[in-house]
Amino acid sequence: MKASDVLKPLGVFVVVIAVILAGTAVVSTLSGAGSGAPSDGEDIQGQSPDAFQPGNAIVTSAPEDGDISVDGSGEEKRILVDSSHGNQYSQSDLAAIEEALVQAGHEIDFAPSSEDGGFGESNYNATLRQYDAVLIVQPTGSFSDAEIAGLTEFADGGGRIVVLGEPPQLQVSGGLTAQVSEVRFGAQGLTEEFGLRLGSDGLYNADDDWNDNNYESVVASPDGDSSLTEGVDNVTLDSPGYVVQTGDDASVRVRAGPGTKTLERRQAGQHPVAAQNDNFVLVADTSFLKSSERYDMDNEQFISNLLDFLVSGDKDDDVPSGGDGGGGGLGE
Amino acid sequence: MVDRTDSARTTTVLYVIVVVVAVLIGTVLAPVVWSATQSSSDNSGDPTVSVVTLRAGTDPGPVNDVKEDLREARTNDSIEAVVLRIDSPGGAVASSEELYLAMNQTARQMPVVAYVEGTAASGGYYGIAPADRIYVKPSSTVGSIGVIVSAPLSALEQAEAESKTYLRTGPDKATYDKDQFREEMETLHNAFLDTIMKHRGDELELSREEVGHGDAYLGPTALQNGFADEAGDLDSAISYAASQTDAIEDGQYNVHYEEPISPSGGAILLSEGAEKTDGNIVYVDKSGEGTTEFQRPVTYYAVWGVPVTEDAQEVSTNESE
Repeated sequence: MKASDVLKPLGVFVVVIAVILAGTAVVSTLSGAGSGAPSDGEDIQGQSPDAFQPGNAIVTSAPEDGDISVDGSGEEKRILVDSSHGNQYSQSDLAAIEEALVQAGHEIDFAPSSEDGGFGESNYNATLRQYDAVLIVQPTGSFSDAEIAGLTEFADGGGRIVVLGEPPQLQVSGGLTAQVSEVRFGAQGLTEEFGLRLGSDGLYNADDDWNDNNYESVVASPDGDSSLTEGVDNVTLDSPGYVVQTGDDASVRVRAGPGTKTLERRQAGQHPVAAQNDNFVLVADTSFLKSSERYDMDNEQFISNLLDFLVSGDKDDDVPSGGDGGGGGLGE
Repeated sequence: MVDRTDSARTTTVLYVIVVVVAVLIGTVLAPVVWSATQSSSDNSGDPTVSVVTLRAGTDPGPVNDVKEDLREARTNDSIEAVVLRIDSPGGAVASSEELYLAMNQTARQMPVVAYVEGTAASGGYYGIAPADRIYVKPSSTVGSIGVIVSAPLSALEQAEAESKTYLRTGPDKATYDKDQFREEMETLHNAFLDTIMKHRGDELELSREEVGHGDAYLGPTALQNGFADEAGDLDSAISYAASQTDAIEDGQYNVHYEEPISPSGGAILLSEGAEKTDGNIVYVDKSGEGTTEFQRPVTYYAVWGVPVTEDAQEVSTNESE
């Protein structure tokens, strides 16, 4: 058998297949759109846009550093934390304050013993006489006229009062059937005695330079020099309210940053968030005491200043007077 | 002589067999060659405008379907332009970004025009931001640029307490605090907002901060403030898309409607998985079963709407003063 006996049929075999396939290709190409095989590979340029790059997108919270410290050089002071007016705070929020005060040699009471008069007793004035300063955090219940009179005399006599309040807000109460209720500041009657009111609306700031990663977290800064704002450049307040002056006696100590607006009315302005009238201070926020906010920006310094304010009063032991019998205090 | 005749006959038979086998093999291979040389379209020669319809949240399922349609548009030689007909209030940020990237890639290769049939808000607007032109009707809703996280604050506060009920290898493992939420939300918001400003900054009458307020706008307002470009309907969008490509001359083109994409089940706003994220870091202990279910700690949404919860919420006012 010669080689050509194999090669020739093989050649014919190959040629026939080639002709059929080539013909198919030609007919197919001509009958199609004239295009070759479409490319399935894709150009993926532009899929890593600038807006997605770390340098552009990443934000970080304000650094949390610093300490809360209280002046312990003076005499020991007793501070009362009000808990008889539906006050909304958790004791853990105040733990850092308590620690700093105790460390500096002061005493802090969340509930006065009944020997000292207690809360809600007829002799509220007797209770107040035991203390040098009162801290009232977000009271939702109102103060009676007698309590207001006692506290006013307390402040006039050198006692220090700090009121922290929140703007009206909805609160979700937990459990399986969540309930939403509106919570309002209840001590307007008291604060008005000192020429101040808590505003009826919350604040926000959409300018990234004047908020702490969220429009609700407003940055505020001191208005003038005062012992309350010593060493403070900026504080951050989470959903604060604002303070309204009803008289000429009080001075604004801290104002919200430029571009701040009220939530409902969208009223722009550097709304006051903390004001002082002699021995009385009103701050339109309580969130700066919470662990997540306490050391943001200069919050810890502001808190320290507030505590120093509380322990640096000079009140006589017999202030406020009266109320021991049926004629004073709540019973007047 | 006989041998020679036999030999010739054998040779002929051999060639016949060879040719028949070759024809058979060739016949088998011919369709392969045919399809390889054909473009994959079913066109009849005219260039095509592809209409992709998204009537669903920008959640993973629907977005993947859109991405397939867009990829088809990019790789099919006969498709010269795309119109995205959209009615979407947004969805998870993760899949909304996917939609944006797919649209962005398509818009780099061919004219892409958006027609807002109902809503293109939040994640939906993220998707159409790269479009060459956005068509709206008076009832179309666009905007709502922003990110929400579906976790009530009470759950945030509980998270810390609940994290004590299981052991973790590190202090940051499986925990979240408010600062972290806000950092992450703001990071996603920055990427979102800057993308909108990049694509629409020249048209928008609003500042970056104003866009960041997250308002949603009806068609006429959107035309005024630059969230949309033209009033019109789907045909306006198709005809504009066709006019933007050189491949289409004298209005000779086909319109191919991809199958409309609708929600893959569940509510249109937050489809599957949304309810699970209501609580944050929830530890579900099914007593009697050997396994513990874990839940994704947090999902960020670019959505126009509010979370749907099972509990009807009762609003009461505390009239204490």
